Amino acid sequence: MKTGILSIGLVRGLLFQAAGFLAGVAVVTVIRLAFGMGFSAEPAIVLGAFFSAIGFMIGVGAFSGWFANALGKPAIPPEEVEEPSGFKRYLGVSYDHKVIGVQYGMLTIAALFLGGSFALIFRSELVAPGMQLIGLQQFNTLIGLHGMVAIVGMLLGGAALGNFLVPLLIGAKDMAFPRLNAFAFWLAVPAVVLVLSSMAAGGFDTGWTAYPPLSIFANMGMQLFFAGVVVFGWSSVLGALNIVATVLRMRAPGMSLFRMPIFVWGSLATSIIAMTATQLIGLSFQLVMFERLFGMGFFNPANGGNPILFQHLFWFYSHPAVYIFVLPGFAVISELLPVFARKPLFGYRWVAMSSLGIALVGFLVWAHHMFTSGMEEYLRVPFMYTTLLVAVPTGVKFFSWTGTLWEGKIRFTVPMLFVLGAMNVFLLGGLTGPILGTIPTDLHLHDSYFVVGHFHNTMFGGFVFPFIAAVHYWFPKITGRKMSDLLGRITFFILLPSFWIQTLGQMQVGLLGMRRRVADYDTLPEFQTTHIFITVAGFLVGLAFVIFMYNVIRSAMKGEVAVGNVWESRSPEWELLPNPAPKHNYPQPLVVTGDPYDYSLTDTEYVELVPVAGATD
Amino acid sequence: MNPNPRKILIASGNSLFGKGLMGLIAQRWKKDPPEIRLSRQMAETLEMMESWQPDLVIVDYDDTTIDRGEFLRSFVSGDQPMQVMLVSLQASGAVVVYDRRTLTPAQAEDWLSVPWVSPEEPDVSKEQRSSTMRHFVIAGILIVLVATIVYLLLNTIGILPAPASVEAGPIDQLFTAHFLAIAVLFALITVLMVYSMIVFRQRKGDNTPGRNIKGSTRLEIFWTLIPLVVVLYFSYLGSATLDRTNAQAPDALEVDVLGGQWYWSFTYPDWDITTNELWLPVDRPVLFRLRSADVIHSFWVPEWRVKQDLLPGENFVRELRVTPTEEGQFQLLCAEMCGVRHAYMVSPVYVVSQDEFNTWVNEQTQAIDLDPAARGQKWAQDAGCFSCHSIDGSDSIGPTWLGLYDSERELVSGETVEVDDDYLFTAIVDPDVHVAEGFRPGVMPQDYETRLTEEQIEDIIEFIESLE
Repeated sequence: MKTGILSIGLVRGLLFQAAGFLAGVAVVTVIRLAFGMGFSAEPAIVLGAFFSAIGFMIGVGAFSGWFANALGKPAIPPEEVEEPSGFKRYLGVSYDHKVIGVQYGMLTIAALFLGGSFALIFRSELVAPGMQLIGLQQFNTLIGLHGMVAIVGMLLGGAALGNFLVPLLIGAKDMAFPRLNAFAFWLAVPAVVLVLSSMAAGGFDTGWTAYPPLSIFANMGMQLFFAGVVVFGWSSVLGALNIVATVLRMRAPGMSLFRMPIFVWGSLATSIIAMTATQLIGLSFQLVMFERLFGMGFFNPANGGNPILFQHLFWFYSHPAVYIFVLPGFAVISELLPVFARKPLFGYRWVAMSSLGIALVGFLVWAHHMFTSGMEEYLRVPFMYTTLLVAVPTGVKFFSWTGTLWEGKIRFTVPMLFVLGAMNVFLLGGLTGPILGTIPTDLHLHDSYFVVGHFHNTMFGGFVFPFIAAVHYWFPKITGRKMSDLLGRITFFILLPSFWIQTLGQMQVGLLGMRRRVADYDTLPEFQTTHIFITVAGFLVGLAFVIFMYNVIRSAMKGEVAVGNVWESRSPEWELLPNPAPKHNYPQPLVVTGDPYDYSLTDTEYVELVPVAGATD
Repeated sequence: MNPNPRKILIASGNSLFGKGLMGLIAQRWKKDPPEIRLSRQMAETLEMMESWQPDLVIVDYDDTTIDRGEFLRSFVSGDQPMQVMLVSLQASGAVVVYDRRTLTPAQAEDWLSVPWVSPEEPDVSKEQRSSTMRHFVIAGILIVLVATIVYLLLNTIGILPAPASVEAGPIDQLFTAHFLAIAVLFALITVLMVYSMIVFRQRKGDNTPGRNIKGSTRLEIFWTLIPLVVVLYFSYLGSATLDRTNAQAPDALEVDVLGGQWYWSFTYPDWDITTNELWLPVDRPVLFRLRSADVIHSFWVPEWRVKQDLLPGENFVRELRVTPTEEGQFQLLCAEMCGVRHAYMVSPVYVVSQDEFNTWVNEQTQAIDLDPAARGQKWAQDAGCFSCHSIDGSDSIGPTWLGLYDSERELVSGETVEVDDDYLFTAIVDPDVHVAEGFRPGVMPQDYETRLTEEQIEDIIEFIESLE
């Protein structure tokens, strides 16, 4: 058994990433010198970035099985690989979907914490007009990184939930492709490192949307940002592919599509989007990267390009991306509501189909981000119609949730509090959507702080609240312990009101004429009071998140031991498995005998283990 | 079903079930009543089926003391004609009839599996119906109340800046329509949620589940179609409003707007005036032609409501129509992230009476007669030079102009140059040829040769020379 710090996969990976980076820089430099050209930083850094990602993957050991195959040696099947015990198994390559889910989860929490911290830095700057704490370039870099790191965090969070839960919920032993699963996760790590390292290369002043021509002229940090996002895109596509395959091929006998736990529907819809749309953001960033490196005139009109083309490519992914975070969140809400309302999910089929409906319509609305962009006039009105159509399936979900609560027997556990909080916060985000969707009102609101308030509501209601609910709910399945109830309640009662203040404040200044992404508002000093409120509330949101993280760590080490079906759920992982869920999940295959959410019929069951052969005869 | 059963056996542990049914049967066959027997226990039922041979057995579907498997075995084993009627009171009087001789395996399977409960018509006793009704009435009143309050609040607290253009009129009407929809939906969902949380919470010691409602296709269709109609209506409203804001006026005042990092420049082709402050006569339609010198910017005066991006490139000139209706000073903001100093890309907008506007035009057209250095200052101001070059000695994005003329400068390339007329001319029209130490190439726009005339550039150099 290896010991020492080099036995930790993550550490090896990061060392190899640094080595890969240097190798990339060396290759470009040697070639340039050979042709008599001097050193040039930008191509060296770009190649270094991609080499560094490959280096990380080699170092962490994500290629080991495939390398063995390539050399003609037998690769150990994923389910037979010996893995270190304890916390260490989370720091290296594991093929166990639950370990990978938790790894995703830890990276999610880290990314959200980091993204939030960036926000608090520039929020502090906005307490007063004028520049006090940081420079303009730093400010602009931070808003871009806040956006992208938080988005990456949420994408990781969706993957965390999908990886941990989907096999458990459908009664499978693991994902369809365990090796690919580990590969997809570990690819995300160097991607995050690359995105963050853009700070060290001068940052970038474009915001996370990176519109050219601005991004063509921006500092070198832009290229590292692009490289990080492109690498992360691969991770997303591969992870999504795996979930689609798992859902379609590995369900327990008797689990028809309409008897799947509703979370699985959400995960499937999300994965379909991620699998088919992510390429477009990768492509759009890659084209800007090439325009900078090779002078290819894609987007800069000075070189014959078209700046609006970028926006089409970018939003074709980046709008559906919103649903990639939000659909798993919705699915958590739909999954947990019946458990704590002690009542069937209202209109199961409609809720399931509305996920697919949102995924489908979500593909047809991207240009609503471009109503003021100067794209062809005749495109605006059709996109207004499709945009508002999204309200229909979203409404179906909302009404069905309300129907689920009606005449239930509601239990106010911590996960339920966060589910109700999610509904409440998302409601605010949903209601402020159509006003941005109709063109004339959007002409006023576009690129204002109102948009900032609106999408923070959708992101927190659609992802952050449900994610925290899910962590509280499934924590015993990970650690065998419960999370602290008291700390959970404290988190909730700090988070919800401060979040309301923050986003309502943002919407208010936006309506009154505050632009987004401005480092200073010296021309409109009357907004200062609201900005102080927003900043203080922002810090409280941060405090709530820190308490949540403390709760996770503390409870993992010395939380109350959780025995049995903690929440009296009908779901297979609670009905049939001990806490924590054992490796390879179910000891025998399970069979579906009822509906997943018949909480009102106490004498029925959703799933049963198939008795071991021989015992029946 | 045998239309005229002679011997009926009622099997139920619940005595009310049997007695109630006996009454019903007696009413139905008044003239020729069949023989009815009651059985309260499973064993008794089986025994009577064997010995008495009834032609109809009515079984209480909700009676858990009846072992269905055993009952089924006994039922299919005999060869006398016999029918079974399953009656469930809990599932709103659902009835299933099976015949001994034609029973299929699928039917047997159904029989043994979970009780069949109609999702369409959940069991609603009178008492429950009235309590449901009461819940809906209270919630309904609260919804109307909350919706009204929210709507009034949104319309009275002044959440939009005072409108100052013709276009703002229809747009604000659309805002008001949205506020109504927001108020109603907010009240609807929030009241139902909060009401459920209070009224339908689980009390201490109560461990019963919630009511068995699995959904309602009718309701789901209802709340799919109604929102569909509403959003289509709003889309229609949106396009109608857009039409009104795009109305073209033939006598519009034309203004060419150029945005660059980080300045605004306005040209009035009618008088050949170029300035960095926007002056407009009130109540006259204006046609802005928008163009960017470098990256994407966006033209936004919040009081006018409308917004339009400025794109770089000859083929990407965009138009925006506004008719200012209020005199006063406003701010033109760049609303699209355009780089480091984006926050400071703000220009004053003066909307004045036609008379004042004429006076201003006269001043501008006569301004050209001043001395070269003063003209140069104006050209530099209009071209946005001062957003990067100060005249007070402090370097910002570019070098300060104070004391620049005749000084010695070190360049990025390492050489040292003396700042004279030739150097400055090159530095303005082709800024990347010589970049001063401490500054970056590619920052300064490269298009001043086309935007300024040679005379104007000479005036600017004259102005720089005057800054000792």
